[in-house]
Parts: sequence; C-alpha cells; structure tokens
Amino acid sequence: MTGMEILLLVAFGGVMLTYILGRISSSLRNTFAVVLSLVLVVIIALMYDKTGETIFYRGFFGIPMVLRINSLSWIFAMTISFIGCLSVIFSLDYMKVKERTSFFYAMLLLVNSSMMGIVLAGDLLTLFIFWEIMSWSTFLLISYNGGPAIAAGMKYIVMSFAGSMAMLAGIISIFTAFGTLQISEIAAGMSSASSGFKIFIVIVFGIAFGVKNAIWPFHAWLPQAHAEAPSPFSAVLSGVLIKMGVFGFILTMYVVVGLGTYMSLGGAIFSVRSILLVMGAITILVPTFVALLQDDAKKLLAWSTIAQAGYIMLGIAYGTSLSMAGGVLHFLSHVVFKSLLFMTVGAVEFRTGGIRDLNSLGGLIKKMPFAFTGTLIGVCGLIGVPLTNGFVSKWLIYKSLIFGSPLLTFVALFGTWGTVLYSYKLIHNIFLGQLPEKLKDVENTPLSMKLPMIILSFTVLLFGILPGLPLRVINKIVVSLGFDSLNISLWGIVSESGMLNMINLFAAILAGLIAVWLFLRIGARTIPVKQDDNYAAGAAVPRDRYNYTVKFYDPLLRMISPYLRDIFDTFYMKIADLTGYLSNGIRKIYTGYVGNYVMYIVLFISLMIFVQMKWSPW
Amino acid sequence: MHIIEFIFSPLLALLIGVFFLGLARKVMARIQWRYGPPVMQPLIDIIRLLSQKSASHGVAFNIGLVMSLAGSLVITLFLPFGKIAPMSNSGGMLVILYLMLIGPLGMAISSGESANPNASIGISRKLLLAMGYELPFLLVVLALMKAYNTTSITEIVSLQRDTGWSMFTFPLVLSGIAYLLILPAMLGVRPFEVVNAPQEISSGPLVEYGGPYLALATLQHALALFIGISLFVNLMWGGAANPVIFFLKMLVVFFLGIFVNAVFPRLRIDQAIRYLWRWPSLIAFAGLILVCVTGS
Repeated sequence: MTGMEILLLVAFGGVMLTYILGRISSSLRNTFAVVLSLVLVVIIALMYDKTGETIFYRGFFGIPMVLRINSLSWIFAMTISFIGCLSVIFSLDYMKVKERTSFFYAMLLLVNSSMMGIVLAGDLLTLFIFWEIMSWSTFLLISYNGGPAIAAGMKYIVMSFAGSMAMLAGIISIFTAFGTLQISEIAAGMSSASSGFKIFIVIVFGIAFGVKNAIWPFHAWLPQAHAEAPSPFSAVLSGVLIKMGVFGFILTMYVVVGLGTYMSLGGAIFSVRSILLVMGAITILVPTFVALLQDDAKKLLAWSTIAQAGYIMLGIAYGTSLSMAGGVLHFLSHVVFKSLLFMTVGAVEFRTGGIRDLNSLGGLIKKMPFAFTGTLIGVCGLIGVPLTNGFVSKWLIYKSLIFGSPLLTFVALFGTWGTVLYSYKLIHNIFLGQLPEKLKDVENTPLSMKLPMIILSFTVLLFGILPGLPLRVINKIVVSLGFDSLNISLWGIVSESGMLNMINLFAAILAGLIAVWLFLRIGARTIPVKQDDNYAAGAAVPRDRYNYTVKFYDPLLRMISPYLRDIFDTFYMKIADLTGYLSNGIRKIYTGYVGNYVMYIVLFISLMIFVQMKWSPW
Repeated sequence: MHIIEFIFSPLLALLIGVFFLGLARKVMARIQWRYGPPVMQPLIDIIRLLSQKSASHGVAFNIGLVMSLAGSLVITLFLPFGKIAPMSNSGGMLVILYLMLIGPLGMAISSGESANPNASIGISRKLLLAMGYELPFLLVVLALMKAYNTTSITEIVSLQRDTGWSMFTFPLVLSGIAYLLILPAMLGVRPFEVVNAPQEISSGPLVEYGGPYLALATLQHALALFIGISLFVNLMWGGAANPVIFFLKMLVVFFLGIFVNAVFPRLRIDQAIRYLWRWPSLIAFAGLILVCVTGS
C-alpha cells in the first residue's frame, strides 16, 4: 500500500467513523473529526516532493484505476486538507446550536476526501467517480439549512449535472479513441489526434470545469449556493471546492492537450486561448460590479469569488511561466483570504443571531475586534494591498499580461478598484460606523473561530512578505508542465521585465509606520470617547439613526445597474421553467385512476401487435 | 549617500507638500482680491495642532491614519525626484499603483471608525471619485508602459530624456491630453472637491479629527498633493535630472491646478463620474489603441 491509498482509506474511513461516533457522543465525534483532519494534513505534508503512480484496482471491466501524485496534486491536496482542517475547527462552535450535526460533519469530511481523490486521480474514470461524490455531497451540504437553501442546492446540482455529463461525453470519446483512460497515456495519444478532436475535448472538459469554477457564463449557481450554505462550508466551497475547476483546467490544457498544442489550438483570431482569456476578463469585470449591488454579506463575497476566479483564469490561460505561476499563486492566495473572509462573516452571523444583511449591522469593531482584524487582513489580501499574498499573485499576473495584451491588464487592474469599493462596503457596514442599540450585547468571537482566523491571517501576511515559500513549490509545477523555470528568491522574483522585492517593501512600510506612530506620540494626549460623543452640527446625536450604510454607493449604482442584467441566469431560469412546463404536461398522463393505466397498457400492446402484423420487424 | 536619500526624500516630499498647501491658500486669496494668510501658515497650524488635546474614537481610528501616512511616505521612496529614487530597484509602476491604495484605504478605515455619517459619505465619495479617475488613469499608464516597453518608472523617465516629453511624442499625445483632463480629479481640487466639501458634509472624512490627528491628516493631504503632481511630471513631462528643475516643473503643474480650482464650482459626485468616464476615458482609450497599433 502506498501513501496515497492509505490517505484515501483514512479519509473515507474517517467519514463513516465520524457519523457512527456521532450517534454515541457529540464531543467524541468532534474530537475525532479534528484529529482526523489534522492527521490528513500530516500525511499529505509527508508526501512533499514525491512523484509516482500506482494502480489500486483492476476490477472495473479491466480498466485499471490509477492514483498518482506530483507537485500539482500535492499543492492542491495540501490546501484541501489545510482548509478542511480549519473549517472543521471553525464548525465546533458554529454548529453547536444546529441540528443534524453528525450528518454535517460526515458530509464536510466526505467533500474533503472526495476532493483529495480528484486531485490524486491518475485516470479519468477515478476522477469522474470522485467528481460525482463531491458534487452530491456538496449538494447535501448546500441545502443543509432548508428553505431557500434547497432551491440554491437544486440550481447547483442541475448545473453540476450538465457539467458532469459533458465530462462523461469527453471521457467516453477519449476511451473510444485511445483505448485507455490513464492521464499519462492519453497525453501521449493526444499529440497525434486531429485538432478538431482536441478542440472538442477542450470544450467538453471546459464546460465541466467551467461550471465548477463558476467562469462566466457558467457562474449562475454560485451566489445563492455560497450565501445559503453554512459558513464553515462556504469557506471550503469558495476556497477549495470551486478550485477543482482550476485543477481541471490545468490538467486539460497543459497535461492532456499539452502546452505547445494548447498555445496554437484553433484559428488565428478565435483561438481557444484568446476565447478563454476573454472569458476570464468578463468574469472579472461583470461580477465585480454585481458584487457592489449586494446587501447580503455572503452574497457579496460569493460574487467576489467569481471575479477572483477570473484572475486565476487569466493567469492560467495566458500560458507563460510567469502567468502560470501567477495563476496558481492566486489560487493559493484566494483560498487563504476568501476562507478567512467567509469565516469572519460567519462569526458575525453566529454572534448576531444570523444577521447577514449589511444594512442592519454596524459598529461591531468595538464588540468583535478579532473578527475586524481578520476581515481587514482578508480584504487587504483580496484587494492586493502590498505585503499581502494577493498583491504578489496579482503582480505576477499583470506583469505577464502587460505587454502582450494591455486591454486584458486594464480590465484586471480596473477590477481591483471595484474590489476596493465592495471590500470597503463590507468592512464599513459590518464593523465601522455606529453600533445599533440591538447589537449592544454581542459577545466576542469564540476561541474555536479565533484559531482558524489567526492561522489564516498569519498565512496571508507570511506569503505576502516571503512569497518565495509558495513560489518554490509552484515553480516545480510550472516546470513540470513544460514551462521555463522562474528565477525565485525567498522575498520575491526576478523576471526578465522587472523585479519585485517584498522584504525591502516590508522594511520600508514598517519604518514608515514606526516613524509616523512616534510622530503621533510626540503630539498631545488623546482622550478616548464614546460613539455618541460626535459632531452633529450642534444637535444631539440621534440614536440608531446617525449612520450612513444603506445604498452606500448609490450615485454609481444608479448609473450602472441598468447595464448589469444577468442574461445568462435569466436564460438558465427560462430553460428550467420550460422543462418544468413540459414535465408538467407529461405528468398529466398519470391520472391516478387504475382504469386509465389498464387502457394505456392495452393500447400499447395492441399498437405493438399492429406493428408486428403490418411490418413484422421482430 | 544612499541612507541619506531614504530619509531625505520623504522629508522633502512633506516639505514641498506643506509648502504647496500654504501657497495654494495665498494664490487663491490673491485671485479673489484678498490678502491671504502667510505661506508658512499650514506649518504653523501643524505645530499648533500637535500640542492640542483631541478625542480618539478607538484603535482603528489611530492605526488607520498612521497606515495611511506611512503608505504615502513609502511611495515617495519609489517616485524619482530629479534623480533621487532610493527604492526604484524594488518594484516599478505596478507597485506604485498598489501602494497608492494604502493612503485612501487607511484614511477610510480611520474615519469610518469615527462613526460619523459625514465621514462615511465623504469616504463613499472618495472611493467613487477614485473609481472615476482610475479608469482613464489606468489606460494612460498602460499606454505609457506599453509604449516604453517597461514597467519601471525610472526607465520611463530616462527614456524621455532621449525622446522628449512623452506628452509631446507622437503615439502618447492622446494619453497626455487625457491625463491633463483628469489631473484636477486626482489632486482633488474643484470642480472635483466632492470628498471634503466643507459646506456640504463638514469636511467629510476629516470631520472627527482634531489635534495631532488633524496634523497627520493635513500631512497626508500634503503628501497626496505631492504624489499626484510628481507622478504627472515624471510620466508626462519628462521628469528631470536636476531636483531644482523638477521642482519648477511641479510648480507649473501646481499653478495650473490652482487656476482650475479658482474658477470652477463644485460638481456633484455623479456628474464628476459621468465627466471622467466620458471624454477623458474615450481619449485615453484611443491613446492606448494608438500605442498598440503603432507600437507593434
């Protein structure tokens, strides 16, 4: 048995055991779930820098089922287990007040285990099986809360199905063409295939992974699903689950199709690459502005997730070593800061009794300073303020795009300003401004929620100041996909078109902060005051009404909202309505009256007899 | 030599910024047939403010302001002043663009915690205005980087020494015009003085600051003025090899800004965005296309 088989055995066995232990005692189950997810992190960490393939099962019609590990699967597996572990810890307090907790934990661990299966899969059949397990268990978790969550889950599973069916079509055609499903062997066969077949493969797999990655125009399921899922799972969903699409894209474009072929696939103008790049750019631009319209904290973050997926897409689809490193690093950055943000918003939701509406919160910095710090670091990463991980990854993406396609760079850079706007709205409407009377007794963040927040905040800053840590592993991936190696040092990167030195920047900013702080200390004493002790042009400060949160960016939104109609969502909903209408028509056959059914049977048999007598086909 | 530059360039930037603030009041007064305060008045005010007690609204109120000023100070290390640019080796234009976020963001968090709706309205306007001018500005910057095929601001400056001011070189003319059209918005002078609007929203983000805080906020304002003008001179008017000539160029841009400030009334925020997203953006876009077409 190799490490990979042990890993999957532990992961899936643990899922069962967690559910069974939940029947006995909830505290035993919680301890076990935490220990299990920690063990998984350790096992994967031990597999660092290993490559290999192993056939674990031959029984499926003689098709070998293979597991394999390399640097690409390792970095994905590591993030899955890391975020999975933190979300289990975060759940400890969050799920205390909920029902069916054993089911929740088991499903959360099942999603994580199946994602590990996906990234470790060495053939397409294994990939597809784990993919389906992931889709189903995700559906169960999204609709966990009931009510609107079930509608959100339905939307997810239907779109997910469309994606899986496309993938299945691709898998079957690959099997008929090459007679194998092993990824390493397909790659060899693909080089001699016709370009039409390659484009077909890219399209069907593109739909499958595009739906999961929520690339425009396949993004419609994501906002409701992210908003309605329980917060610890939203962190997993937005952080790692949709990144399975990224993994799939890298696998299809650079492993199965191959780097050289991918770059020249398609016509001169409508090449596959340029279409993917334009899709990435649209995915950045439109969702960023839609996020500005949102009043639900988690929906805002969900739309922002779609937009960030666009950045990753730009990096991966552009296809140079710098952009590839940027794309993978942005995936890693996004995992960290978006999970952090979903957790802080989840903590606020937990402590305020389920309030996610940005218009009815405010001033919580005094009550939940911890969650505020986490959110601040998280949005700094999201925007890409220097010294956070988001800055380095975005810098890499811009740097690689800037001379080749300035217009795409423009879209990406302009998207950052939209990000500033919605990030500030998030942090202002929750934490800043006046504290409403009804939130006077909100307690501080519980310890089990603080711990993941601390770890994630620390990671945001660590990867921002020492980007060499993740970039060394990423450089291995970049080289293994057939790109040139990058010149990486611990504190930055020396590319052919300019360098980045984060240590110097860190030292400069730190020195600046200290200098300004000392300057402030030189000044006279300051007296802390309450929020009611405020300027109101001589009038008394009106309680609970002295706030500016509702319609925060109204002047802009009045200008742009007519242009922000989600045509694809409307289109999908129309299809759903039409299907519903047709099915409703067909349902009328079932009258519930036995005589009618007998009549159907008699009619059908007489039709068959008539056909046989007339043409005798059988 | 090098270490002296690290201390010298932020101090110089602060000094010039504060000098500009004083000069602005004086020039405005002369345009309006008043005598006006002495040019040193802002400096005197800052020293006086430091000795006054003031109210603090919390930790983020302090830290945000410190962060904002520190971020702006770091930018001055990246911007060439004449030939002085001590940190230009650690990152180029992209780093400057992102460092320019720290100033407004820190200010936004600090004044957000002051829990005053006037401050929140001011911040909301500030971010919207930035969104407004950032669209043409990014197009201009991308056109420049594409035309000179570099992201380093020192290289952009030194290349202009051979070709002449980029504002008057062929493919960049349109970008130069667009930049000139948005410059008042970037400097925050009238007609784009929507953020502080003293008569409307009680100076917006500044409403709760007093004593040392107001001193820091004034310094931040002075630095923002310095950075805005210096960036324009470096990118469009060829920078300078000599700090004195660089300062004179900055002075010319500054006077242009003051004259615009003196004659125009204030726009509403939506009018400002409409203006910025119409002609300047179209011209800047045409400029970028022109660079892409002729450059390749």
